[in-house]
Amino acid sequence: MYEFIISNKEVFKIFYALIIGFICAVIVIKTDRLFNLSLHKGIRYFRNAFFFYGLAFMTRYFFGSPFACGIAGEKYFQFVNFVFEFFLIMAGFFLLYSLIWKKIEKSEEGYKSSLFNLKILVFYAMAVIIAIMDYLWTTRSFMFVSQIAIFLFATIISYNNYRRKGKKHLFLKFYFIAMILSFLAWLSNAIAGLYLKWNQAVLIEVYILNVIIFLIFLYGVIKVTKKW
Amino acid sequence: MVRKRERLDIIRDILKVIRENRKIKPTRLLYSSNLSPQMFREYINELIAKDFISLDVDKKEKKTFSLTKKGNDFLMQYKMIENFIENFGL
Repeated sequence: MYEFIISNKEVFKIFYALIIGFICAVIVIKTDRLFNLSLHKGIRYFRNAFFFYGLAFMTRYFFGSPFACGIAGEKYFQFVNFVFEFFLIMAGFFLLYSLIWKKIEKSEEGYKSSLFNLKILVFYAMAVIIAIMDYLWTTRSFMFVSQIAIFLFATIISYNNYRRKGKKHLFLKFYFIAMILSFLAWLSNAIAGLYLKWNQAVLIEVYILNVIIFLIFLYGVIKVTKKW
Repeated sequence: MVRKRERLDIIRDILKVIRENRKIKPTRLLYSSNLSPQMFREYINELIAKDFISLDVDKKEKKTFSLTKKGNDFLMQYKMIENFIENFGL
């Protein structure tokens, strides 16, 4: 099974990108309607996270696929990797921020743009710096460290949310599970990349984990908004 | 201890009062909203800007607020929005 997947990995990667891109598009469209109606900042940041996840996966596995870009040079792939990292790091920041924004901002503060404001500018700066450092050192280490830290933090917060309100709001348990899986996926990805020479079997498991995580979020969004 | 009303709760309360009265004078709405005049003004300006309510002035220059279709939609979807926020820890 693994051999079949590995020998056709470029085709599988395109399907993988399309599946995750589709899931992200559904989540963004559904949450954008909720946001436009409520102007709730938590919904805004949650929507932005999946907007950036969608962009990241489409960039890396669709535009960065050898099929999609033909005989493009190494510079093109380096650029795609840089953009992919930037989008992925921004998505992680937005997801974490959607859980903690209430401690940092007032709900009355209004912003003209959904994707930019002074507080969010810090995330853009950090994402650019991390992506540049990885580009200069030709590594993914800085992205791995940032994402492992983000999802460790998000796991702790989602566990607290689940412990406090889990009996009343059932999806909090699934959110917590999704955060644990995300943390494990990033940890496995880092171990595979840094110590196992990008072991393909481990990477396939990471891809499967990622699809499960996105499906959990899709399930939650559809379940809550099903009467729409 | 009484829980502090969240922004969304305040908006829902204001819209509900307007819906129940169909048309309501600013002073009555201020009393019903339990907000300070300054906060009340901020919320009302926001609701007008969002097109959730409209300010109508009649021939005698009497002002009343009424609910728009968007405001009515918001009230209908409020439960879903609240559910979403709680279930995703936002």
